[in-house]
Amino acid sequence: MASQRRLIALWVAPAVACLLACFMAPVLLMLVNSVHGTSPDAGQDWTLRFYAKLFSHDIYGRVFWTTVRIAVLTTLVAMLLGYPIAWAIARSGPLTARVLTIIVVAPLFVNIVIRTFGWRIVLGRNGVINWALINVGIITEPLDMLYDQGAIIVGSVHIFLPLMVLPLAAAIGGINPALEEAARTLGANRFEYFRRVVLPLTLPGLAAGATLVFSLTAGSFVLPAILGGERTKMMGTLVEEQMLVVSDWSFGSAIAVVLVALNLGVAATLNGAVERRVRRYAVPAT
Amino acid sequence: MSRGGDWGRVLVWGIVGLGCAYVILPIAVPIAVSFSAGEFLTFPPRGFSLKWYERALGNAEFLGALWLSIELATVAAAGALMLGVPAAWVLVRHRFPGRAVVQGLLLSPLIFPMLVTGIALLQFFTIVGFRNAFVNLAIAHILITLPYVMRTVSASLILLDTRIEEAARVLGASDREVFRRITLPLIARGMAAGSIFAFVTSFDNFPVTMWLKNAEYTPLPLLVFSFIDRFLDPTIAAISGLMILLSIAFIFAIERFMGLNRAVP
Repeated sequence: MASQRRLIALWVAPAVACLLACFMAPVLLMLVNSVHGTSPDAGQDWTLRFYAKLFSHDIYGRVFWTTVRIAVLTTLVAMLLGYPIAWAIARSGPLTARVLTIIVVAPLFVNIVIRTFGWRIVLGRNGVINWALINVGIITEPLDMLYDQGAIIVGSVHIFLPLMVLPLAAAIGGINPALEEAARTLGANRFEYFRRVVLPLTLPGLAAGATLVFSLTAGSFVLPAILGGERTKMMGTLVEEQMLVVSDWSFGSAIAVVLVALNLGVAATLNGAVERRVRRYAVPAT
Repeated sequence: MSRGGDWGRVLVWGIVGLGCAYVILPIAVPIAVSFSAGEFLTFPPRGFSLKWYERALGNAEFLGALWLSIELATVAAAGALMLGVPAAWVLVRHRFPGRAVVQGLLLSPLIFPMLVTGIALLQFFTIVGFRNAFVNLAIAHILITLPYVMRTVSASLILLDTRIEEAARVLGASDREVFRRITLPLIARGMAAGSIFAFVTSFDNFPVTMWLKNAEYTPLPLLVFSFIDRFLDPTIAAISGLMILLSIAFIFAIERFMGLNRAVP
């Protein structure tokens, strides 16, 4: 038994040591740096001023709220677009489902820089959309679609849509088809069946997708860097500037910690809301 | 079929069609432009030529970064396998105090935004004086690919019939022999899937890599990112075309080993 215990320790120890030394220690260091100046001219005392800086300075505060707004809108658009696609995947024949899954999932394996660059050619002044609109005769001068929130949202939905569709498709696929018949027999039309049976049953999947899409959008750098330009900054681009250009590690760390807190907060809120709802509708065990 | 149902169906399939077009558009357009004979990144492409592919494949920086990314991804996948397979085996087959904590710890890089992991690592490596960018990148990539290897390997261990291992033990095999001659061959598929996934994750990574690269070690995604502002001609579209081709190879590999819909976090 002792040799067994030694074996367990020996086999799991390298991975644990690696995670403690190269992940937990860096994260702790970042936490410390966010409440403690890292250089003589930044002041080397314990302080919360790096957090205060993010919210009290107008330019930085705006970046925070822009990030929240873009992440929320991206999540909502991904839900509206993703729900019908997930439905189609879960409820159509095996061939259609397979083709749709490949179309939705395959882009995940195309590098994010390449996909975001693709949007630059689609949305740019000499891009596809302007070309199409001019040829159809809707506009005469090309539109400026790049470098604002809309472009970042369009790009983000594209990147993160699969993460919404897959949990939803699994949730919809898990609904017993007999429930539809039951609802119909009881007089529900299709819309009522959707609203009162399908939607409540897929809320956990929807929450899982929303949590992923929100946190990945809020924490993205490539999207605002390529599609937002100088005009539209998000926390990802701000933190890059603070860490790599200004070298203000304390402020950079504080932004990073706020980003983690934001994601955890949204995840807890969504999960809590779903859990409360599920508990309200759950049939008590007899 | 009721009228309302028909309209609902039209609406759903209309959105599905639009959604598919939207998904394909920004991937198809760079490919179209990459075959252009014109000098600028404009749509529609003018004429047909392969010169931008020639230029991309003749670009030493591109080839160097591609090779570096392949090396890095190989090291990351190998490292994640070496740490992950024994750890997954212990966690699946044994119950011991602190097991949940260990499991949580090993999967914890998943719940952190990649960007934040990178920021933490940058400060840590600087303070402890790790100056070799390749080593730093390799450590970082092993950390972020480990959870994926743990998950695929754990899944195959859970599916493996433990009676086969018991039978070998009854016949006199030691723990080590059981692992090497029974368990390992039977989870080889899960290990292959895990290592492909680790390779792709490392190869594509941007948000951790961006903090740790330097002028000498710039992996492919970072180089392509810097090309966007440097090249205004279709060279970058040709690079996109090549990278999309590579992605298709990855997709086939993943589809073969585990099925696409299970490959997503």
